[in-house]
Amino acid sequence: MADAPDLDALPQAVVTRRKRLRISIIWIIPLLAAMVAIGIAIQRVRSEGPTITIVFKGAEGIEAGKTFIRYKDVRIGLVSAVELSEDYSRVLVKAKIAKHAAGLMVADANFWVVEPRISLSGVSGLSTLLSGNYIGFQAGASSESQSSFVALDEPPIITDQPGRQYVLKTPTLGSLGVGTPIYYRRLNVGQVTGYALTPDGKSVDVTVFVHAPYDKYVTTNTRFWMVSGVNVTLDADGVRVRTESLAALLAGGVAFDLPEFATHGEPAPSNTEFALYRYRGIAMKEPDPVERRYVLHFNESVRGLSTGAPVTLYGLPVGEVTDVGLDLDAKTLVFRPRVAITFVPDRLIEQLPPGERMRSGVMMTEMSPEARLRMLRRIVDEHGLRAQLRTGSLLTGELYVAFEYFPDAPKVKVDWTRDPLELPVVPGSLASIEAKLGSILTKIDKLPLDAIGNDVRSALATLDKTLKDANAFVTRVDTELVPEGAKTLDELRRAIADAGRVIKNADATLFSKDSPAPQDLRDMLQEITRAARSVRVLVDYLERHPDTLLRGKPTEKP
Amino acid sequence: MTAAQHTAARAGLVSCEACRLLSRPASTSTPGFCRRCGEKLESRHHASIETTWALVIAAAICYIPANVLPVLNTTSLGETEADTILGGVAFLYASGSWPLALIVLIASVMIPLGKLVALVYLMLTIQRGSIANNRERTRLYRIVEIIGRWSMLDVFVVAFTVALVQLQPLTSVAPGAGVLFFAAVVVLTMLAAESFDPRLIWDASGGQQADHG
Repeated sequence: MADAPDLDALPQAVVTRRKRLRISIIWIIPLLAAMVAIGIAIQRVRSEGPTITIVFKGAEGIEAGKTFIRYKDVRIGLVSAVELSEDYSRVLVKAKIAKHAAGLMVADANFWVVEPRISLSGVSGLSTLLSGNYIGFQAGASSESQSSFVALDEPPIITDQPGRQYVLKTPTLGSLGVGTPIYYRRLNVGQVTGYALTPDGKSVDVTVFVHAPYDKYVTTNTRFWMVSGVNVTLDADGVRVRTESLAALLAGGVAFDLPEFATHGEPAPSNTEFALYRYRGIAMKEPDPVERRYVLHFNESVRGLSTGAPVTLYGLPVGEVTDVGLDLDAKTLVFRPRVAITFVPDRLIEQLPPGERMRSGVMMTEMSPEARLRMLRRIVDEHGLRAQLRTGSLLTGELYVAFEYFPDAPKVKVDWTRDPLELPVVPGSLASIEAKLGSILTKIDKLPLDAIGNDVRSALATLDKTLKDANAFVTRVDTELVPEGAKTLDELRRAIADAGRVIKNADATLFSKDSPAPQDLRDMLQEITRAARSVRVLVDYLERHPDTLLRGKPTEKP
Repeated sequence: MTAAQHTAARAGLVSCEACRLLSRPASTSTPGFCRRCGEKLESRHHASIETTWALVIAAAICYIPANVLPVLNTTSLGETEADTILGGVAFLYASGSWPLALIVLIASVMIPLGKLVALVYLMLTIQRGSIANNRERTRLYRIVEIIGRWSMLDVFVVAFTVALVQLQPLTSVAPGAGVLFFAAVVVLTMLAAESFDPRLIWDASGGQQADHG
């Protein structure tokens, strides 16, 4: 039955409806696994902070997966990869930062490798000896987030302490280094945190940090200077030795203070630039607002005259030497030492009595250039103001320039139109002594010493002859006159003896008993004695009877 | 035509999974229980393909965190290091002991992955009704079933290390989340291999291609 369909081959209908999409309970397992895995993934992604790239010069001690980034000793990130830059010159360190620290990754944040460091100013990073190097972090103040940083070569010493940072400009770094202490009145108040050559390469910018209570002493008028070890200054004023502290002696340092003349001023804001002076003396020198420049041409050696040597007026400093060099006279082709000086009127005014300072100061500083020139001309021409080189210290041979009035100085022609003006000079004290000695020697040289010698010799010969004559004369006197004298003396002695005999005879004649003369004398004396007695009697009578003189002697009564 | 053409399923018979006794099922829909050992009789595993798929997918999902998350957190002198399996392999290789690195790589990374790939391959071929390489596929299944348990070696090592290295102030070791996922991968693949019914390989060919290849 080919046309009869095979009914048995037809599918049998089922009683219950076939379950479609019947899902086994076993599918809960993968669902669960997926949920857990996705949950962990979400948690991971959510807890994951940004990945940053830090550029290092070298990857010393940095290992992917092992080196942490720490901020205040809290791990805020982990190095995930260390690779070389495209030009192989630097190391790119990729680090994953924890989510909670993501906000710290701002433009001015700093990174550096913390490793053990031992320097004169201290030991740091000792913990890294056990734990290995880690990357230090310093939060920035910016709000601009960033994902690429350049690491610092040196760790910043100061990280989060209150205080201020300043920039000191200096031509050379000297013995300063990171960590060099900052002193204020010999208190250690801060540190050098870094230094960098300026882009033009002509000076060094030293960044210093002054801790909080002391930063208020850094004002706009503050001066900074180096206290690098021992500071020995040798100049026309002598030898000066200064040192700040033992640590500074070994490691150097920076000190600051307010100059005495300056007012306290406003506290300097952060990153204020200051000049870093070589030593205290320069730093504390008052600024010289008005300076006049002059040139001096000496005709003597300027050896010992250095830049900065004082310029004095009657021994008081009024300026300083700014340059010492040579000038070539174009016409004569003769070299002459050229000394450029500055004259600071303020210093001159300081020497005046206080009452006159103001008036003179205004007069001197505000004088018109023409008037000043006239005044200078009068001083130079009429009073003889001259510059002179003098020795400041015989020990070191340092010279200085002294101005004094030399009324007797020869008149000189000064070109008053030149700028800077050339002032006339007189030879220095030493030079003038040399000149005088020279002239004396010349005069001595000119003396007719030969002729004088001959004269002296002939005079001596004459003298010799004279002395010989005298000697002969004396001999003759001796031989001829002395015997005569002896004979004369003998006769004289005989004459004296005769005279003695004559006197003796006279004496015997006059005073012998037998002669009449003594009797006569005796009689005469008796007579005189009697007369004197009579006179006495008369006087006595008269005393008793003064009336006798008038009435006469009364008759004697019977 | 050989005797291999005759299969139990085709003949309407059921073989006991436990004692291998061939018996006639109670009915075609519910075969009943073995008369000899009492095991539940099944012509083929119940929902074998579906279950295996579910477990394989679950294992594959777990395989990712097992390799990404650390299996061991070592704290040494205050520094904590988290090591993943691949990190350990890289460390072993970098430190020069490449045979060890190879063993760990094979046992912990390649074998779980290989098992997953093998199971997926087996199931895809069954679902597509492939009749090629039946014997090789069966051999593959046997290998998967046998080596599966050895992957637990890693978990074992971690458990041992954590238990042994507890020098508290200096060094301590803690298991990471990765090891849990790793163990899950191993267990799930073992279960998947268990739920897979190798007899399905031969169902499509009906035994005809037994000698092929």
